[in-house]
Amino acid sequence: MSASMMAPLMFASLVIFLLIGYPVAFSLAANGLLFGWIAIQLGLFTPELLGALPQRIYGIMQNETLLAIPFFTFMGLILERSGMAEDLLETVGQLFGPLRGGLAFAVVLVGALLGATTGVVAASVISMGLISLPIMLRYGYDRRLASGVIAASGTLAQILPPSLVLIVLADQLGRSVGDMYSAALLPGLALTGFYAAYVLGISLLKPAMAPALPPEARTLKGFALLRKVLFTLVPPLFLVFLVLGTIFLGIATPTEGGAMGASGALILALINKRLNLSMLKQAMNTTAKLSSFVMFILIGSTVFSLVFRGVNGDQWVEHLLTGLPGGQLGFLVVVNILIFVLAFFLDFFELAFILVPLLAPVASLLGIDLIWFGILLAVNMQTSFMHPPFGFALFFLRSVAPKDDYLDKMTGKSIAKVTTPQIYWGAIPFIFIQIIMVGLIIAFPNLVTVEQKKVSANTPLKIELPVQRYDAPTEAPEFTFSNDGEGTK
Amino acid sequence: MKALLRIAHLIDYLNERVGHSVYWLILVTVLISTGNAISRKLFNVSSNAFLEIQWYLFSAVFLLAAGYTLKQNEHVRVDVISGRFSKRTQAWLDIFGGLFFLLPMSLIILYYSWPFFTHSLLSQEWSGNPGGLILWPAKALIPAGFLLLLLQGIAEIIKRIGFLLGIEPPEPPSHPPLSEFMDASQKEGEA
Amino acid sequence: KEEALPEIQWRMASSFPKSLDTIYGAAETLSNRVSKLTQGKFQIRVFAGGELVPGLQVLDAVSQNTVQCGHTASYYYVGKNKAFAFDTALPFGLTARQQNAWFYFGGGLQLMRELFKGYGLINFPGGNTGTQMGGWFRKEIKNLADLKGLKMRIPGIGGEIMSKLGVVPQSLPGADVYPSLEKGTIDAAEWVGPYDDEKLGLYKVAKHYYYPGFWEGSANLSFIVNQKEWDKLPPLYQEAFEVAAAEANLIMLAEYDAKNPAALGRLLKGGAKLHPFPKDVMEAALKEANKLYNEEAAKNPAFNKIYASWKRFRNDEFQWFRVAEATYANFTFNNVK
Ligand code: NA
Ligand code: NA
Repeated sequence: MSASMMAPLMFASLVIFLLIGYPVAFSLAANGLLFGWIAIQLGLFTPELLGALPQRIYGIMQNETLLAIPFFTFMGLILERSGMAEDLLETVGQLFGPLRGGLAFAVVLVGALLGATTGVVAASVISMGLISLPIMLRYGYDRRLASGVIAASGTLAQILPPSLVLIVLADQLGRSVGDMYSAALLPGLALTGFYAAYVLGISLLKPAMAPALPPEARTLKGFALLRKVLFTLVPPLFLVFLVLGTIFLGIATPTEGGAMGASGALILALINKRLNLSMLKQAMNTTAKLSSFVMFILIGSTVFSLVFRGVNGDQWVEHLLTGLPGGQLGFLVVVNILIFVLAFFLDFFELAFILVPLLAPVASLLGIDLIWFGILLAVNMQTSFMHPPFGFALFFLRSVAPKDDYLDKMTGKSIAKVTTPQIYWGAIPFIFIQIIMVGLIIAFPNLVTVEQKKVSANTPLKIELPVQRYDAPTEAPEFTFSNDGEGTK
Repeated sequence: MKALLRIAHLIDYLNERVGHSVYWLILVTVLISTGNAISRKLFNVSSNAFLEIQWYLFSAVFLLAAGYTLKQNEHVRVDVISGRFSKRTQAWLDIFGGLFFLLPMSLIILYYSWPFFTHSLLSQEWSGNPGGLILWPAKALIPAGFLLLLLQGIAEIIKRIGFLLGIEPPEPPSHPPLSEFMDASQKEGEA
Repeated sequence: KEEALPEIQWRMASSFPKSLDTIYGAAETLSNRVSKLTQGKFQIRVFAGGELVPGLQVLDAVSQNTVQCGHTASYYYVGKNKAFAFDTALPFGLTARQQNAWFYFGGGLQLMRELFKGYGLINFPGGNTGTQMGGWFRKEIKNLADLKGLKMRIPGIGGEIMSKLGVVPQSLPGADVYPSLEKGTIDAAEWVGPYDDEKLGLYKVAKHYYYPGFWEGSANLSFIVNQKEWDKLPPLYQEAFEVAAAEANLIMLAEYDAKNPAALGRLLKGGAKLHPFPKDVMEAALKEANKLYNEEAAKNPAFNKIYASWKRFRNDEFQWFRVAEATYANFTFNNVK
């Protein structure tokens, strides 16, 4: 086997490994290690290279941004477990009750809000899945629509600032995070709008998929409903303040905002007299297990990507890119198709680390603004979270969606489980929305606000310096050299 | 086989205990992070130690709970195809995955992470951040976590063989959080 | 008697992202030169920070032969031994030229190699940033008292000195720095100099740009090679590596010196305000630095040994540079248009 075949073979065999149905984290790692063993036999690298494994795992441990995962998961669980989330969605349901698709609109809205507080898709999808999925199932939403709208709205976390994805892209493109954030705002809001428009379309064309609340569920009307709305909106607004407000007031970093929200959820549960030891233990227990599985997927993919680089897989990708047809548009079209296809196999970070450094110089040569290009890539790569069967957002949703039929607590009715194919099918319309958005950004470049730097390189530099003299310039220097006999005093 | 199953159940017990202990660190991390932000704002008091202890503790949670999570069957799977197979076929696939995926991975990472930890321990390496923490306890979490995972992997293989022999119940269905909460009443006594 | 040159392929782990193109570029400079000098027989493939191992793990990775060589800033490893800082930068340390003088003619390289030898490594100076800037502050610092309770992202020994002056060092994750500085969760953050700082865009959220970065009067980057792998190289390849490292050392500094002025001009047009650190801040920091060095020397033999050589050399260099260099610079930089 030649070295150049290793990279495509790794992808092909990864698909088979994952379809066996063994946990994703270990299949990813095992696939990497199998090819590592082959590469060692072929002399492509020595076993010492695998010594990078603990170092890479340690790098994942040290990544403090990932603390958002336990913080937001824990917050979501406390909210869910204490019944506050249910109250909220229930009330929103009552409010939007007569409106078809009302709950789905609420999910898109909450997704955008959460997305604006966290840059981590896992945290967003998991907490939304926990809070909104059971309620949508209770009221007979189509399972594909329900899971699709949750997974997609969860990925808004990566396009709406703050965002881990935009930070990585800014770093790889050599542009500032701040510029990236302001450029992403409009496309992020546009996507939110498109998701809502899709829900609207469904509720008009296929009302059965997004039913209005049945009359018997709409128990409150008029003033009573208004009071209930105001009353139940206080806790979530308090949390939004804790998560977002403390960041804006300069109290918490974006990472710490998640902890603020989690502490706030505990306080709310305490005030509502719903905090007890058993509930707390369950929330911690579930947070621990979810965190472990999410982090182990990262560990599994770090094993895979180490070997992928070891067999020069990144160079293989580079060769794919050479000889692209010329011209801005040709380049953009090919690149977007390529990224879209690779997103089936690679997660966002691998795309960013392997592809972006190769694409950026070419884009720059073609006169494409790199910030605009970065946002285009970010919108396209958002699909890597939703691509069946390996989209991470789908994994996260799968992990919190019911795998068995269960009895709904409130209505006592039996509710059917959510199947994996339902989750996959649900994601597909949203992938189309992403493609449309990519097309729109190419067609209307002004959708991405890019601040122009107008300084010409030829302007002579003139700097006015404030006066600060550390020395006493009028004194003659004194000499104290250390070399014996040669110094004078 | 009976003796093997006893060992498997012992490992189950061990990881169950570990999992139920480390999950408290979630709460501790949340409180430290909140406290650090507040004290930094109000009293200008903070330290890199408070920042570093957060990822130390979270790492302890996700690494040490990996075996427990496996025992609870909550590491996510792509079950589009395998979900249609019979319980016996699934047990065979689990034995295959355990033997050829999980065990080699755990052993290889254990092998490489042990010197990674001992070098740090022997050299008493500290964090490079001013006011930071000593590093070996964090580095020790990698071999510790993968050892617990390895043990649970062995236990799961034994239990699946036991199932194929008809002397052990099948793998528990995974308990995703929602279903756990839906029938919370029957789980109230847990932990 | 002509011997055929063997084909050798190495991997080099850089601590730096490609976006720090000047620093990262030094590794590419070395790789290209080595290849050309050996007729393409000795190939070194460079991996950016995080591609093979995280940036701060490069020393461990080369030490354990995960990769044969690396490009890093040795002061990342002060947690292993504070003496590593002498290889990169210490507060109130040497300028780039003086650092090279110490390495090549003051016994510095030999002393550093004794330290690296303990980790199975051999090191080569491989680039310098020149004197760095003191970073971005949300508010003006008028005197020492203004530093009290100031939250700043500043790593390493510089951070330690700052904390003695009342600063609260916060090593936030990279992703949090910009938004935290924007909202005032932290008050200041330092990075490198105009060319690299511009890309982070911190001037938009903290416009007071302080100088000099007294904790990095210059910062030397080093190539490190696993000693066993080094010993296996044919002498010609060793020569090629050494020559290429020296070239990279020269080129990086030249590139920074060429790129910084225009970058500073753009930052000023973007609203950055230049300030020198107040004199009492400098004096207090110098006092704390000397205290810290003496304390460390008393308990750390490796530090003590290098410190003695470094301190004596620094004194001589500073004395000499006061005469022609500083006076020349003082007059011409201020008066020649
Ligand atoms: Na976000
Ligand atoms: Na600096």
